[in-house]
Amino acid sequence: MSLLEVKDLKTYFRTDDGIVKAVDGVTFSVEKGKTLGIVGESGSGKSVTCLTIMGLNSKKNTITTGEAIWKGEDLLKMSSRRLRELRGNDVAMIFQDPMTSLNPVHTIGRQLSEAVLLHQDVSKKIARGRALELLKAVGIPRAERRIDDYPHQFSGGMRQRVMIAMALVNDPDLLVADEPTTALDVTTQAQILNLIDKLQDDFGSAVIMITHDLGVIAEIADDVVVMYAARVAEQAPVDNLFKRPAHPYTWGLLGSLPRLDVEVERLVQIPGSPPSLLNPPRGCRFHPRCPYVMGVCKTTEPPLLPVGDDASHLTACHLDQATKDAEAEKLLAGMMAESV
Amino acid sequence: MAASQDTTIAAEPAMTNGSVDDGDLLVVDNLVKHFPVTRGIIFQKQIAAVKAVDGVSFRVKEGETLGIVGESGCGKSTMARCIMRLLDPTSGQLLFRGRDITHTSRANLRPVRREMMMIFQDPYASLNPRKRVGFIVGEALQVHKLGTPAEIKKRVQELLDVVGLNPEHYNRFPHEFSGGQRQRIGVARALAVNPKLIVCDEPVSALDVSVQAQILNLLKDLQKDFGLTYVFIAHDLNVVRHISDRVMVMYLGKVAELAPRTQLYTQPKHPYTAALLSAVPIPDPAVGRGRKRIVLEGDVPSPINPPSACHFHPRCPRFREGHCDVDDPPLRPFGEGHVAACHYPLERWPMTEEEIRRPRTTTVPE
Repeated sequence: MSLLEVKDLKTYFRTDDGIVKAVDGVTFSVEKGKTLGIVGESGSGKSVTCLTIMGLNSKKNTITTGEAIWKGEDLLKMSSRRLRELRGNDVAMIFQDPMTSLNPVHTIGRQLSEAVLLHQDVSKKIARGRALELLKAVGIPRAERRIDDYPHQFSGGMRQRVMIAMALVNDPDLLVADEPTTALDVTTQAQILNLIDKLQDDFGSAVIMITHDLGVIAEIADDVVVMYAARVAEQAPVDNLFKRPAHPYTWGLLGSLPRLDVEVERLVQIPGSPPSLLNPPRGCRFHPRCPYVMGVCKTTEPPLLPVGDDASHLTACHLDQATKDAEAEKLLAGMMAESV
Repeated sequence: MAASQDTTIAAEPAMTNGSVDDGDLLVVDNLVKHFPVTRGIIFQKQIAAVKAVDGVSFRVKEGETLGIVGESGCGKSTMARCIMRLLDPTSGQLLFRGRDITHTSRANLRPVRREMMMIFQDPYASLNPRKRVGFIVGEALQVHKLGTPAEIKKRVQELLDVVGLNPEHYNRFPHEFSGGQRQRIGVARALAVNPKLIVCDEPVSALDVSVQAQILNLLKDLQKDFGLTYVFIAHDLNVVRHISDRVMVMYLGKVAELAPRTQLYTQPKHPYTAALLSAVPIPDPAVGRGRKRIVLEGDVPSPINPPSACHFHPRCPRFREGHCDVDDPPLRPFGEGHVAACHYPLERWPMTEEEIRRPRTTTVPE
């Protein structure tokens, strides 16, 4: 059984301009010890999906439907008290910007011990010891001294390590990482990705990794969900997604990335920009930007269906499979041919 | 492109004998920019300096793209601003089309400014929200008195068309455009006065990948059509590889390595370049997962008090005590305009982390 099963999740926000459908029918599951990557551009709903699962949206102007089954319990229907028990304990989250997610007026040590004290019945001394242990585990040099430092005395990469340490305080079963490396430099990003990988091995946690970088996905995800305009465009095990991409949006994403190992004269460009979620296009949401658009795309929303006979690989596109395979092959061949 | 024939670029530019190659649009010689760190309120005393750029030399040929990569705080943006003379260099020399512009006065700089333009990183912060697009794009034309209002309007509409915007959007405000469209406005503004050189400071970092590709393609097309020269600053090695003819890697205010694009990416000589290359995630699990990352220890040190000699030595896997921390490595040539500042350059690439740790004790270039 899956650790977390999300079924037909919808999150709508009431705003002055109307209802923003930030997440509009998303289904996926996370297996124990595995990494699920959610990839998409800004405004595709990937962060809101996770905030909804964590119960972190403001109640007032949010309409949430669907299910998120965590070990038999529905997270969306849970009391806030029970949710508080879970959060930071069984499920933990790492945010994108480590500067704004740490409290600037408390020391690192105090913030880490707070997380221990909230969920475990231990003395302050033991909590501090646990905090120190975690700082060492995430590779903070001279942790004994740095534990009494304030967040501003840490660099961006170190702050992100502290955030990870905080998330790991109670050995969570699921770690939700919302663009944990986006604000960091590549060498620091490599350090953090290695760290998450290692900790996953040590603690056996499952990870949901939200990112806009297909490179990061390729390196660490086991399964991938590609989101576009609040919906799932394609979902597949990572190897399938890169070997047999089956949605024109995925092709666009792959083709528009300049790559270190491949030289191309021109990048594939997706014309236009992502649609507003206040008033998304009718039919397939990608149709105004899709080079393969047909009549049916403009009127009927494509269902999420298996690619060929592969039940683990789903895509929402009206194109027939033969055309898709041919196009995907062309795209990949184009890359390979010019590869150095 | 010109890059492949370029053999003159070396550690010591030809500045010392006063001669300049005809093909060089921009020559930067030993550029230094230090920002003072002061103490006291009324009687300010300088107690230290942030050595943002600390002796950088390079040349840019007409029509080529020089990519500059480095992590945050390595001085790449400060250098861009020095080149544009938006900041005054502490020392060093800047030659633009053979003319020394290091100390030119503001008034005398005006005609030069027409020929060098800049595209900024954040398309939200770099456009005045209270001005209409027509004014933003045409302002430089007005400043340089290049035409009557009617002519300027016509030119602006042409420019909007060139960068892929609707010329009828002349009267709109920046907030009516998306991020990618705003960056197109930034490009149109830079093109308005027909510059020779455009300094792009992280022009695509704030954009989504699909939009990023649009802007990169646009910049390439414009270069072809108008014979532009770019200095392209970015922290994304993939983007830099795509657009550049030659690439310069900076670390803590100094040049670590400078080479023609393919050379740099296939035969890096500096361990820092190698670490950067190995850290970039490759969007292909079949390739990416087979690689071994070289994970650097720690963070980039503070430029207020940089490490002695080679700035990279505290994080370098090839560090040799008594050499790297004492003796500042000069830029050594490796042929075809490839230079790197390292006592123990990599023998080949790719290498395992083990091999990188055990350099052959040679500093003689092959």
